[in-house]
Amino acid sequence: MDIENQDIQAFIETVKSQSDYDFSDYSDKSLKRRLSKILLDRKLSLEVLLENIRADDDLLEKIVKDITVNTTELFRDPAVWHSLRFDILPRFQQQSNIKIWHPGCSTGQEVFSMMILLNELGLLQKTHLYASDLNEDVMEVAKQGIYKYRFNEGYLDNFDSVIRENPRVNDSYFDVPYSKYFHVDKTRDNLRMNKQMLTKPVYVKHDLVRDPNPFGEVFDLIICRNVIIYFNYELQNKVFKLFMDNMSPGSCLVLGVHESILGPFASRFDKKFQAYFKK
Amino acid sequence: MSTKALIIGGSAGSFQIVIRILELFRPDLPIPVFLCLHRLKQVRKGFEETLNYNASLPVREPMDKEYIRPGKIYLAPSNYHMLIEKDLTIALSTEATVHHSRPSLDVFFSSAADVYGPGLLALLLSGANQDGTEGIAEVKRNGGTVVIQDPDDCEISTMCESAIKLTKPDQILTVSKIIEFVSLL
Repeated sequence: MDIENQDIQAFIETVKSQSDYDFSDYSDKSLKRRLSKILLDRKLSLEVLLENIRADDDLLEKIVKDITVNTTELFRDPAVWHSLRFDILPRFQQQSNIKIWHPGCSTGQEVFSMMILLNELGLLQKTHLYASDLNEDVMEVAKQGIYKYRFNEGYLDNFDSVIRENPRVNDSYFDVPYSKYFHVDKTRDNLRMNKQMLTKPVYVKHDLVRDPNPFGEVFDLIICRNVIIYFNYELQNKVFKLFMDNMSPGSCLVLGVHESILGPFASRFDKKFQAYFKK
Repeated sequence: MSTKALIIGGSAGSFQIVIRILELFRPDLPIPVFLCLHRLKQVRKGFEETLNYNASLPVREPMDKEYIRPGKIYLAPSNYHMLIEKDLTIALSTEATVHHSRPSLDVFFSSAADVYGPGLLALLLSGANQDGTEGIAEVKRNGGTVVIQDPDDCEISTMCESAIKLTKPDQILTVSKIIEFVSLL
């Protein structure tokens, strides 16, 4: 379905007037695509959708959720996890505790990746893990820790690359069994995280666009990958400020491989390894 | 309407043609070129390097929000969708795969068609699925020019056949004609 720019504007205005959600500063193209898909899936015209949204708060919540779903993987971009493993996380070894925030955690694969890595480094016990997302449905998936297996066979390769192999030392191999962290059930087509990992992270609903830090903590590491790509430049800066104000000295921010800090906050960070260190 | 951007899409069987095309661009190329290619997960590493090996201009995976410049060759990053915004910046996305593909040609071609309209030249090459069909239709709908590799000349013809079924392209060309066509840009 073809959507014009004035349609997007009408959608943004309607949502804004009916709720606290504000999509004004989202990337145009992604918003347009997702809205088109929603109209197509529901076989609705924009006029009817907006009419229904005005009359039905639950529908509005559902549409907001459809728009804010992001996909994530276990150990996406192994090179980043290698850097976390060898360059970044060891810096926190001497601290009595480590505080990590996953904003926009979606279905939680990055949270589990982090827990597995921390455990292999012997740092999990003293780490406080916080995760948040605007969308409570995807966070529910994170809390359950059950994923489709068939579409995610790459998970095992990524696990091998990050946990079993060490690209910096030839022929090194850590024989860590998958069952230490999760079980693959091929008949049910699922990959299920072990129970003891489900209770560790604190999950809270949080809107990066408008809410303050929901945890009242100052963080050593914020890992927020492929979330700010959906925000425009102004909103990105707002988010960078929120992060910076809640990071301890020497702490770092990990963004997606193709995301970068542009604008006024660039000078407040040092880019090193795969992370931005707060100056 | 003069060409404002060239977009090239391909999947299985397109790699060698893309390599040859990349040898053709002059250093003063007045337009940006975008490559949206499916790649196997196993060859994520080294893909950019291989494309660069004989390329006359550097091929690079762009960062999100990067400004598009003439004379640059942009390669859709692996495991992201690539889109173009109205302000001529690159937008990346990790939303779900389309036709099991990310980057998806449909996603990228449609977004480029929306921005460049009649100034867009789209080239569709060999491939094994139907991604690109909807995108090529969008290019045409927005007044752009469409060149599709001759299915008889494709290593795998599914992608081009599917696109031709829905959209009448401006030209259907064999590889050697495609090379000639691009070298005249």
